[in-house]
Amino acid sequence: MSKAASQPRRLVGHGMIRVDADGKVRGQTRYLNDIRYRNVWHGVVVRSPVARGRFKALTLDPAFDWSRVVVATAEDIPGENVVHMHDRTMPLLGEVGGELLYRGEPVAVVAAKTLKLATEAAGHIRVEVEELPPLLTLQETVDIFKKTPKRFVSMQDKNIVKGDLAKGFAEADEILEAEYWAGHQEQLYIENQGIVVFPQKDGSILAEGSLQCPYFPVNELNDPLQLPPEKIRVRQTPVGGAFGGKEEYPTMLVGYAALPALKSGRPVKITYERHEDILFTPKRHPVWVRYKTGFKKDGTLTAIECDYILDGGAYLTISDVVMFRGILHCALAYRCDNVVIRGRVARTNSMPSGAFRGFGAPQAIWGIESHMDAIAARLGMTPHALRRKLHARAGDTTPTGQVLSKENGATECLNLALERSQFAQKLRQSSRGKLRKGQSKYYGAGLSFFAHGAAFTGDGEAKFQAKGRVELARLEDGRPGVNIRVSSTEMGQGVHTIFTQIAADAFSLDPARIRYPMADTGLVPDSGPTVASRTTMVVGNIVHRASLDLKAQMEAFASLHFFRGEKARLENSQFHAEGRKPLPFGRVAGKMLDELGEASGFFQFKLPADIRWDQDRFRGDSYPGYSWAAHIAEVEIDPITCELEVTRVTAVIDVGRIINPILAAGQVEGGLTQALGYAVMEKMATGKDGLYDASRLQTYIIPTALDTPAYDIQFVEYPYSFAPPGGKGLGELPMDGLAPAIANAVEAAIGKRLRTIPITPESIFDALHDPSGATP
Amino acid sequence: MSTIQRTWKLNGKKVSVRGPAGRRLLDYLREDLDLIGAKEGCGEGECGACTVLIDNEPVASCIVPIGQLADGTEILTIEGVEKKRAGRLLQRAFLECGAVQCGFCIPGMIISAYALLMRNPRPTPRAIRAALAGNLCRCTGYAKIIQAVTLASSRLPVPTKRK
Ligand code: FES
Ligand code: FES
Repeated sequence: MSKAASQPRRLVGHGMIRVDADGKVRGQTRYLNDIRYRNVWHGVVVRSPVARGRFKALTLDPAFDWSRVVVATAEDIPGENVVHMHDRTMPLLGEVGGELLYRGEPVAVVAAKTLKLATEAAGHIRVEVEELPPLLTLQETVDIFKKTPKRFVSMQDKNIVKGDLAKGFAEADEILEAEYWAGHQEQLYIENQGIVVFPQKDGSILAEGSLQCPYFPVNELNDPLQLPPEKIRVRQTPVGGAFGGKEEYPTMLVGYAALPALKSGRPVKITYERHEDILFTPKRHPVWVRYKTGFKKDGTLTAIECDYILDGGAYLTISDVVMFRGILHCALAYRCDNVVIRGRVARTNSMPSGAFRGFGAPQAIWGIESHMDAIAARLGMTPHALRRKLHARAGDTTPTGQVLSKENGATECLNLALERSQFAQKLRQSSRGKLRKGQSKYYGAGLSFFAHGAAFTGDGEAKFQAKGRVELARLEDGRPGVNIRVSSTEMGQGVHTIFTQIAADAFSLDPARIRYPMADTGLVPDSGPTVASRTTMVVGNIVHRASLDLKAQMEAFASLHFFRGEKARLENSQFHAEGRKPLPFGRVAGKMLDELGEASGFFQFKLPADIRWDQDRFRGDSYPGYSWAAHIAEVEIDPITCELEVTRVTAVIDVGRIINPILAAGQVEGGLTQALGYAVMEKMATGKDGLYDASRLQTYIIPTALDTPAYDIQFVEYPYSFAPPGGKGLGELPMDGLAPAIANAVEAAIGKRLRTIPITPESIFDALHDPSGATP
Repeated sequence: MSTIQRTWKLNGKKVSVRGPAGRRLLDYLREDLDLIGAKEGCGEGECGACTVLIDNEPVASCIVPIGQLADGTEILTIEGVEKKRAGRLLQRAFLECGAVQCGFCIPGMIISAYALLMRNPRPTPRAIRAALAGNLCRCTGYAKIIQAVTLASSRLPVPTKRK
């Protein structure tokens, strides 16, 4: 055997080319709207015309020919009219006699042979509503919260308490209080939402479409459709971007399409065009966060008191967990013994807010990272000196009492980012509202530092116990290979590629023999939703362990059937045994398939036994692991037009083991660009009419190739050793911390602190020209 | 609506087109010819996912009525681009640089990049950014796309200057 062959080839850590990219660059990959379905009807959703009102009647225009269409209303719901997300309050369709709670709330679904006919028919349905006064915005609810807290309606409360807040404030030399606001943000995946539902002969349904979490509809629509989980089968089509936007919402689309499909016996497809997609699918939650902090002259933080209120919209859906993740990140990254954080989800008469990359954490980090700079300014310290002193490190205790493990790159991220960007020097060059010699624009540099908890919050993973399988199969060329069977969906983030790498290394097998078919609940065990930066960490570990399981079975089989009991090992796609000629993988795999019919490896994820979490008291180990990052943003602001350009971003990140450095960097660049939009471009609010005030691409502006800065991205690796290969969660982190770094840079540039994002030329102009305006 | 009858050159082949003058080119390509590489992201000329080349210019096919295109119009879609050297170089570079994530914007991106390289085989990063500014990508942050176009350009033979 040659020396090279005795060294198994390793793919983890290498920038393997994506397994799904070829079809994508050639325009051959078929997304939902590219699939040619025959005899599929098109569904259109009929919606509430008001933000709040009593639903009096739904009438069909008698002059219209209804024989060619099918109309489904709440009366056609076979079971109870409720979608079971995190509570059981939201109906699938608004019901006559009940109250409609937001503009656009669905009340009926019309389906017809063509989209044109369905749309036309929908226009002949009258929705009669007696209007009631709505509560539209977070601003209104926060006013109530401040003035008459008893009248404030919260859909979910949760508090974190550590130490003794009163004592902390008593020990403080200074106290600083400030509020921070952020608006809605639209995911803006370029492929709009879409689902097709096929009713089956046995009364079950098969749904496919652009979604992240195939098991969600399976478990959330049982009551209204009167179908048990095994009678709702869901599979993904190639997903043209999701970012959380296709997390909980596709359940609704499956429900909407299922009603006319079950009523008529025909497959029904619902796809949104852009305007409808922006108006009537969930956004990132607007936030109001207030910090009151006590600190000593040397910078020691003695007390943090925080109120964190999200605009949940009209129904809770998943907002409780968004708020949980939010408050867990409100004071996560700093040392402080006395902390109180109160989380609330306000109810407004607007489209329910939902999942978007970061899931409450960007809102929290926006607040705390702005506030840390404000504290530094008050103390006359530099922002980096303060963070160097206070940042959490291994052995420190978080606000929920978790002791941070050693797998922690916090200090290295902070130091390396400061060094790479030459931050201290850049900060000295910052304009602070006065153009310095040689500057024609205000220049500023800003810092943020933060952590992101990987995987489900609290005991989520412990309870869920995600499962996955790898199995031997005949591939399309007839030769044997391996199928990865987990429910993680490919939506652009690269999971099909990195899991292929992980499996290839675990088996020591040529990745060309490995396939990862699209997730299909009829074929894959429930390894959980593709959310929460849990995929690489949790499901990656499942793929690794299940592959080792199958590999061991194959080695035992090879030993028995080919090597006369001699111990066999699979390496570089060949089975080896002492003193024997190696056998190719396909020989053994083929014989196994022929003799056994099937063979698979399985693994179920369990957290270490010493992880503890008390959901009621919200104490304990809030996440299995943490990723860390420091960002530095540099900005230039035109003194006349107040136009802002982010010129450079330095990001140093610890997400544990990097499986594929090219894909990882791509995740970071994409996430940072979404965060750039959040910080300075993407402006959206609920208007007086109850609709989002930016609902087209002409008005909702996201970054283009001309808007993105130079990115300097550096990874430091502190792997999660409990779950090889040791990723800690990468997807959301790049969305978390750029907005405050930019706001801090703006403060360095113009000498004024802006406490609302997005920061626009108008808001900079106001800050520069209003003497009473924003100040640190 | 008036019906038109035209002959175009599509991906190098003659096609005869018949249909209502106001029909969108995007629908004709996708529905009648199953050329699904051009995607619909907005239907309003804002996202660039539907970009095709019309007489060497990148155009949003969602806002082009077929009646607007005269006989002899040359149209190139992503399905035709890979028969061109620069098109293949771009596809290869997008793979190598990791410029593809969800992929939904990518055919339009490659078309716009191809049009740029036809005009200017050695574009500066700034020129690449400008040429792609009409193609929205929500996944990549553009960095690796710009890198890929630069790489493809470096592999194109240097154009010989004609007097
Ligand atoms: S679909 Fe044509 S530009 Fe968006
Ligand atoms: S790769 Fe997803 S939009 Fe560009």
